[in-house]
Amino acid sequence: MGDFEWLTPSSVSEACRLASQYGDDSRFMAGGTALMLALRQRLVTPKALISLAGLPELKGINWDDAKGLRIGALTLHDEVARHPSVGQHYPMLAHLARNMANPQVRHQGTLGGNLCYGDPSTDPPTGLLVWDAEMEVANAQASRRLPLREFLVDYFTTALAPDELLVAVHLPRPPADARSRYTRHMRTAAEHRPLAAVATMARFVGGQCSELRLAVGASSVVPRRLSSAEAVLNGRAPTSALVAEAADTAAQELDVLDDARGSAEFRRNIVRVTVRRELSALFELGD
Amino acid sequence: MTTTQRMHPLAMTVNGQAVQAHVPARRMLSDFLRDDLHLTGTKRGCETGVCGACTVIVNGRPLKSCLSLVVQHHGAEIKTVEGLAAGEQLHPLQDSFERCGGLQCGFCTPGMLMSACALLDRTPKPSAEQVRQHLSGNLCRCTGYTQIVEAVLDAAGVPHGN
Repeated sequence: MGDFEWLTPSSVSEACRLASQYGDDSRFMAGGTALMLALRQRLVTPKALISLAGLPELKGINWDDAKGLRIGALTLHDEVARHPSVGQHYPMLAHLARNMANPQVRHQGTLGGNLCYGDPSTDPPTGLLVWDAEMEVANAQASRRLPLREFLVDYFTTALAPDELLVAVHLPRPPADARSRYTRHMRTAAEHRPLAAVATMARFVGGQCSELRLAVGASSVVPRRLSSAEAVLNGRAPTSALVAEAADTAAQELDVLDDARGSAEFRRNIVRVTVRRELSALFELGD
Repeated sequence: MTTTQRMHPLAMTVNGQAVQAHVPARRMLSDFLRDDLHLTGTKRGCETGVCGACTVIVNGRPLKSCLSLVVQHHGAEIKTVEGLAAGEQLHPLQDSFERCGGLQCGFCTPGMLMSACALLDRTPKPSAEQVRQHLSGNLCRCTGYTQIVEAVLDAAGVPHGN
C-alpha cells in the first residue's frame, strides 16, 4: 500500500471541494472496511484519502411521522440494527443489518459506504429497494435526491458524480399494513457474502395481496425490483401455485451474474427457490 | 515509500494509557499496535479482514485492526488483549479459555477474547447461539469452536453442560 495524503474536512462542501481538486486521485473514506481491502490489494492507488468522519450532516438516524426515516450515510450497520425507529417501522431492515457480514464489519462499516461502493454481493441495497429509498447526495454547491434504483448503475458503479458524496438515505413512512421479509442465500455459512438476496413487502386488502414489492440482489450486477414477478401476485389471493409462478418469473426476469462464485444456471435456480420460499413465508402458505 | 512522507500527530488511549505518536497516513492500526507500541498480542493473520485474529476493541466496538488506518482512530479509546488482565489476575474470559480448553495453537485466541469481551460487555448472559453468531468473524483452525463457545458461556456464568 503506497502512501497518500490524509485529508480531514469538517463540512460537506469542503469534502466535495477536495474531491474536485484531487479528482480520480482521491477516494472518500467512511468506515473503510471495503476501501482498505482495495488499497491493500492495490486495486486503487489514490494520492489522497478524504475522511468523512468529521461531517456532522452524515451522522444519526431520525424518524419523522410525516417524512419517514433519515439514515445518515456514516451510520454503522450495527447502529441500523439497534435503532428503535428502524426496529419499529422497518423490522426487516433491522433484521438485515443484524445479520449482515460479521460483527466486526457491522461495527466499522457504514450504510453509506456500502451503498457507494456498489458491490453487488452485499445486503443493504436489496432491502432498501422495497422501501423506495431515496438517496440524498451533495456536491460543494447543491444537493439533490434520486431514487436508489437510479443510484445503483452497474457493477461497482453508482450515479455519484466525482465531486459528489452521499449524505443520507431517506425511507418514506411505510404503509401501516406492510408485511416484509429479507433473507439471503450463502454458499457457506462462513462466507459472509450473499449469493442471492431476496427482499419482499406486501400489503393486503381482504384476502388479496393489494401490492407486492419484490427485490432480488447479489445475483445480478445491481439489485433490482422484479415487476413481472410482482404482477403475478398483485391484486390476487396468494396461493402456492401463484407463488411458484412468481418465483419462476423472477428467475427468468433477472439478468443473472455468471462468475466464480456461481454459474448463471446455479444462480437462477437459487433465486427461484429463495423467492418461492420467501413469498410462501410472507403469505404464510407453508413451504 | 518516499522519504518525505507526511507524519500525522496522533493521540489515543490504549489499555488505559495515553499514547501520543506521529504516524504516516498509511499505517494500519494492527501495525501500529504491534510494531510501534510493541503490543504483539494482537495477531496479523489473513490481513484481508477474514480471520479476525487482529480484533481489538475501539470505543467499545470490536474491529478488525488490519482493516483500518490508525489515523482513523485519533482520540479513540483502544483495548487490546494486553489490557484484559489486571496485573497477574487473568480476565474471567482468559481464565475460562484456559479451563475449558478453548485454544490449541493460540494464534486466534487474542481475537477470540476481544470479540467475546465486546459481546459480554453488551450481552452479559448470551445464549450459545448468540456466542456463535458473535464469533462468526473469528476463525479458529484447531478447536472446532465447541470449547471456545463453552469458554465464553462459562465466563458469563451461563450453564453449558460441560
